[in-house]
Amino acid sequence: MKSRLAILVKGELSRLNKYNVFSISILVALIWGIILFFLNEDALGSILPFVLVLDATMMSVMYIGSVMYFEKSESTISTMLVTPTTNKELVMSKVIANTIHNAFSASLIIIVFIIFKDVDVKIFLVFLGIISTTTFFTIAGLCLSYFQKDFTGMLVNIMILMFGFGIPMALYQFGVLKADFWEYLLLINPMQAGAEVITAAFVGYEFTYKYYFSLAYMIIGAAIFYYGVAIPKFQKYAVKQSGV
Amino acid sequence: MFKVEDLKYRYPKGEHDVINGISFDISEGEIFGFLGPSGAGKSTTQKILIKILGDYRGTISYSGKDITEFKDDFYEDIGVSFEMPIHFSKMTAMENIDFFLKLYKNNADVEELMKRVGLWEDRDMMVGEFSKGMKIRLNIVRAMLNNPKMLFMDEPTNGLDPMNAMILKDMIREFRADGGTVFITSHIMSDIDQLCDRVAFIVEGKIIEMDSPRNLKIKYGKRSMTLEYKENDHTEIVEFPLDGIGKNKEFLNLLQTKEVETLHSGETTLEDIFIQVTGVKLKNEE
Ligand SMILES: Nc1ncnc2c1ncn2[C@@H]1O[C@H](COP(=O)(O)OP(=O)(O)OP(=O)(O)O)[C@@H](O)[C@H]1O
Ligand SMILES: [Mg+2]
Repeated sequence: MKSRLAILVKGELSRLNKYNVFSISILVALIWGIILFFLNEDALGSILPFVLVLDATMMSVMYIGSVMYFEKSESTISTMLVTPTTNKELVMSKVIANTIHNAFSASLIIIVFIIFKDVDVKIFLVFLGIISTTTFFTIAGLCLSYFQKDFTGMLVNIMILMFGFGIPMALYQFGVLKADFWEYLLLINPMQAGAEVITAAFVGYEFTYKYYFSLAYMIIGAAIFYYGVAIPKFQKYAVKQSGV
Repeated sequence: MFKVEDLKYRYPKGEHDVINGISFDISEGEIFGFLGPSGAGKSTTQKILIKILGDYRGTISYSGKDITEFKDDFYEDIGVSFEMPIHFSKMTAMENIDFFLKLYKNNADVEELMKRVGLWEDRDMMVGEFSKGMKIRLNIVRAMLNNPKMLFMDEPTNGLDPMNAMILKDMIREFRADGGTVFITSHIMSDIDQLCDRVAFIVEGKIIEMDSPRNLKIKYGKRSMTLEYKENDHTEIVEFPLDGIGKNKEFLNLLQTKEVETLHSGETTLEDIFIQVTGVKLKNEE
């Protein structure tokens, strides 16, 4: 028997495809590609990392949110509950599949730029950044979806969170917020942490304690959400949404 | 095989218990039915037995072991069909089945099952394009694809045409003949009457009566003879107890003196008995 986790991940990925989430993310990557393509080299240096950050943070939450929503609308979780699959395997397979999916869409953007614009990016660091950030935001998005009543409610909450965390992050990245005070305060912003670990792959990034702090934030934060919320709250969520 | 003792259950947000202390056991190789009106607690009981709802009071054991001691391999042993058929609508019937099949150690012959319920020809169709009856039939295949030892079926014939309902009932009987055990809920009398070795009448979360359909009929049913005859220009109907009918003077007198229109013996149906015992009708809406 093949590992059940592998079967579940494969199932999740094929559903991302069947339910058109894959095509949407390819489309989004293409649109970003086209926009970035027409920027001049200077602007590209700061916009490309920013786009990757948005993709790894906001889009991760959106994709997992829609996946959970589709699943909810078909009540398929109740069927999963009566198979020998464990809750851990179910949650883990979603996290892995969605991280693979998002890493794939980020790679598309990066590949376009390496080929056409000759951007300089450290491949190992960019993938470390994208995978750790995507994992964190996928798990956070999963937890968020446990508490969402409907699709619109979910979108509204994502927007509020993204603006709340995203705007300060963007302002800081583009140098609008300069004071030291912001530097420390923003360390607790998960989107800032994501931005930190992803921009580290681009030329001109200065490695300080902030990089290591942010990387640890993403990894430890992901573990805390996973073991603290995603796993223990899953059964209750699954039972509730299966119409019981 | 299954033993339930003094089971009580209240939904997390519920104001009162919806299962009020029920006890029963299901023996190996038996088809055990839960018969009751809408809202009686049939689906709730099934969900507790299959370990979807926890936090119940009372004890439930399977094969002599408390069900809380079982891990997820419990599900290798059982097959479940829910009230509503559930599948991934944007995948074909076969893609759905293949996906679920791989999650089990034990695999049934899918082709045979699909042919049996008449879906083999449509196996490459999207489930979203299936009719309601087709979805229900696919649900039955899904419940049986791990060759379970025990089947749990919540209103399995609901939404099936008579032909397919008959096929399903045959499949359930064959399942038992091969040593399987079945828990089935229904508010459709004929299902229970035709299939079950034993039936429990459930109303408002309480079991009011429990026995084989045959024993219930003997215990509560009255056997009678109904005679319709012409009286002047209208029809009179009279009923006589079947016992001692040959010596019943009034009956014999009517036979000899009147023009008999119809004469038939009748036994009380399970439905009549249900109403008589529980004071509740099975179907309130239909
Ligand atoms: N999620 C829930 N939260 C609170 N109460 C519930 C919930 N689900 C069911 N109930 C209540 O529990 C009782 C039993 O419901 P159940 O679904 O078990 O009935 P049933 O016998 O299966 O009925 P039906 O024939 O309509 O399927 C009902 O009074 C119902 O209102
Ligand atoms: Mg029900």
